[in-house]
Amino acid sequence: MSKGLQDIARELLEKGEVQVVVGWGAVKADPDRTRPILVTDPDEVGELVWNPRCVNNLAVYLTKAKSDVQALGKAAIVAKGCDVKAITGLIQEMQFSRDDLVIIGVACKGVVSDGSLWQGELTEENRDLKCRFCDVRTPRTYDHLVGEEVPPVDAEDDWKDVRELEEKTPRERWDYWQEQFERCIRCYACRQACPFCYCTRCIADKTLPRWIESGQHPRANLAWNIIRAMHLAGRCVECGECERVCPVGIPLNLLNRELAKEVAVEYGYRAGYDSEAPPPFATYREEDDQSFIR
Amino acid sequence: MEHRTLAGDGLPALIDELIKKGMRVIAPTQRNGDLAFGQVSSSAEAVLDYFLCKRSAKEIVFPRTEAILGFDRSGGEVKVEPPSMQFPETVVVGARPCDAASLPILDHIFTWDCDDELFTRRREATTVIGLTCTTADNFCFCTSVGLSPDNTAGSDILLTQLEDGQFFVEVVTDKGEKLAAELGELFREGGDESARQKAGEKARALVTRSVDVSKAKGWLDDHFDDEMWESWMTCLGCGACTFVCPTCHCFDIVDEVQGLSGHRCKNWDACTFWHFTVHASGHNPRDVQYKRYRQRILHKFRYYKDRFGVTLCTGCGRCSRHCPVGIDIAEVLETAAGSAAS
Ligand code: SF4
Ligand code: SF4
Ligand code: SF4
Ligand code: SF4
Ligand code: SF4
Repeated sequence: MSKGLQDIARELLEKGEVQVVVGWGAVKADPDRTRPILVTDPDEVGELVWNPRCVNNLAVYLTKAKSDVQALGKAAIVAKGCDVKAITGLIQEMQFSRDDLVIIGVACKGVVSDGSLWQGELTEENRDLKCRFCDVRTPRTYDHLVGEEVPPVDAEDDWKDVRELEEKTPRERWDYWQEQFERCIRCYACRQACPFCYCTRCIADKTLPRWIESGQHPRANLAWNIIRAMHLAGRCVECGECERVCPVGIPLNLLNRELAKEVAVEYGYRAGYDSEAPPPFATYREEDDQSFIR
Repeated sequence: MEHRTLAGDGLPALIDELIKKGMRVIAPTQRNGDLAFGQVSSSAEAVLDYFLCKRSAKEIVFPRTEAILGFDRSGGEVKVEPPSMQFPETVVVGARPCDAASLPILDHIFTWDCDDELFTRRREATTVIGLTCTTADNFCFCTSVGLSPDNTAGSDILLTQLEDGQFFVEVVTDKGEKLAAELGELFREGGDESARQKAGEKARALVTRSVDVSKAKGWLDDHFDDEMWESWMTCLGCGACTFVCPTCHCFDIVDEVQGLSGHRCKNWDACTFWHFTVHASGHNPRDVQYKRYRQRILHKFRYYKDRFGVTLCTGCGRCSRHCPVGIDIAEVLETAAGSAAS
C-alpha cells in the first residue's frame, strides 16, 4: 500500500509539481508509531508510510500558523478522508485555494490512536470513535488516490457519546467538565495540533488586555477550554486530534461533538463537506431569527 | 548508607503509617481516569504498580500556578500580602528515579542568583521515597544521563522490590534517616544486599536505549546554526514536552486581577511557545518553530550543563512519549552525537 504512495510522491517531486510532500513516517524508536514528515528530496520518499497508525491530521501544516513549512514551496499532502474534511474547511475559510495543493488521498478503513490497543492490526475494537461512522473512507476530493476505494461505513452517527452527556443534569455536567478541565496544564497542544486554530495571535496569548488568565487553575482552565470550543463550533471537523494530543487525556472531542450536534440540529450543517457552503457563523441572512436582540 | 527491609505488608502499611502520623502523603493516584501525583488519604488510593505518571512530580515543589503575593486596593491604598510560607510536612511515596532525580537538578536554578523560597521551602518540607522501576519503554534513556532505574539521586529513601516480593530499603539522606527513625518498626534492620544487586541489574537491563550525551554536547557546543535543527520543523510549538517534563522549569510572572484585588502569579511557561521570546516591538528573535525547539535542546544539554555541571534531563522520555508529532528527544541527541562522530 505504501508503495503506491511513494511512487506518487517521487513523481510529484521529480517533475517539480510540488516542492514538499507532507506525509507520515515511522518513529524510529517505536516503528508502531508514525509522525509527520516533510519530504523534499525524491530519494527520500521511501520514508513515507501509510497504515492504521497514521493518526496525525497533516492539514495543520497547510495553515498560516505553520508558515515555515509553506516557505518550502508548493505542497502535496497525504490525507485520509477526515483530513480532507479539514482541508475542505480551510478552503471554505479562504486559507488557500484547491489549486495551491496536491492531495494524495488514502483509502482508509480506520486508524488507531491509542497505542496500547494496537496489536499489529486494525480491529472493530481498537479503531477510533470517529471511524465507526465514517462516511469519507474514500476522501471526497483528491488528485491521486492510494488504495482501492472504500465504501462509507453502513451506519449513521448515533451521537451516543453526546447523548450520554446530555442525559446528565446541568449540575452533573458542570461537575464533570470542572473535573476534566482542572487538570489542564495549558500546554496548548490541542490548539497547536488543530487545523482550525490558525489565528496569528490566539486570544489565549493576548496580554493587552489579557482575556484568559495563563494560570493553570480551574477558573482560567474553564475559560480557555470553553472559549476554544466555541471558536471551533460549526468549523471543527471532529478529527479528534485535540483529544489525541492532550497529554492529560481530557475528552475534548466530546465537547466539540456536543457543539457539532447543536449545529447539526439547529442549522442542518456539518463542517468539512462542502467548501462552497456558507459557514453557519460567518453568514448573515435577513430572515435570521433576531428576536433575541433587544 | 543504612540498609533495611520494609516490614508488614509493604507499601500500603508504609503509606497508612505516614498518614497516621499526620503527614501529607503524595503518591500516584487515579483521578478521573488520569494517573497523577496527588494527595492520598489512604493506601487504597495509591497506585504503586505503575510505569510513570503522565505529568512529572515537579508540581509538588513547583506548582503549575502559585501566588507570589496578593494585593488589594479596594480600601484606597494598596495592601500587599506576602504568600504563606507554611508548607505541610510532605512525603512523596513511589516516585520513580527519573522523577526523584529532577529535584536536585532543579535546586541549581531555583537557588542560583537568588533563593526562590517558594521552591526551597517546599523542597525542605518534602521527603521523597523513591521506587525502583520494574518497566521501561523505548523512550526511556535515563542510563545515558548518568542515572538508572534504581538510582538514588533525589530520593531520601529508595525502595527496591526484591524477587521474593520484599522491599529493600536504602536510606540515602539525613532527611531519609529522620523519617526512617520515626517509622521505627516498619523498617526492619538488615537486608539481602545480593538480592538488591540482582533487582538493580534487572531494572537496568530494561533500559535498552543508549545515547552518547557527552558526544552530543560536543556537537551542540558549536552547531547553533545547522540544518539538523530545520529537520524538526514539524514541531507544533505546543508546551506538551516542557509541561510534562520533570526538569523544565520556566515560568512567567503575571498579575491576575479581579476588580481591585488580585494575585501576582508564577505560572508555568515554555520556550517552545511562540510568545515566549516575542518583544514588545513585535520582533521575535526566535522567529520560526525549529529555533524554539532548538532552545529546548540547547538549554538542557548545553547551557545548563555549562552553568551548573549537570544535564537538565533525567531521561524519563516523557517529552517523546507525549509529543503530538512524535519528536523523540533521544533521537535528536543520537543525530547530534552521530554528526559529531563523522
Ligand atoms: S474517520 Fe474515516 S477517513 Fe478518518 S481515519 Fe477514520 S475511517 Fe479513516
Ligand atoms: S492539550 Fe489538554 S492539557 Fe493541553 S491545553 Fe489543551 S486541554 Fe489543556
Ligand atoms: S477535533 Fe479538535 S483538532 Fe480536530 S478540528 Fe475539531 S477542534 Fe480541531
Ligand atoms: S517537540 Fe513536540 S511536544 Fe514539544 S513543542 Fe514541539 S510538537 Fe510540542
Ligand atoms: S527532556 Fe524529556 S526525557 Fe529529559 S527529563 Fe524532560 S521529559 Fe524527560
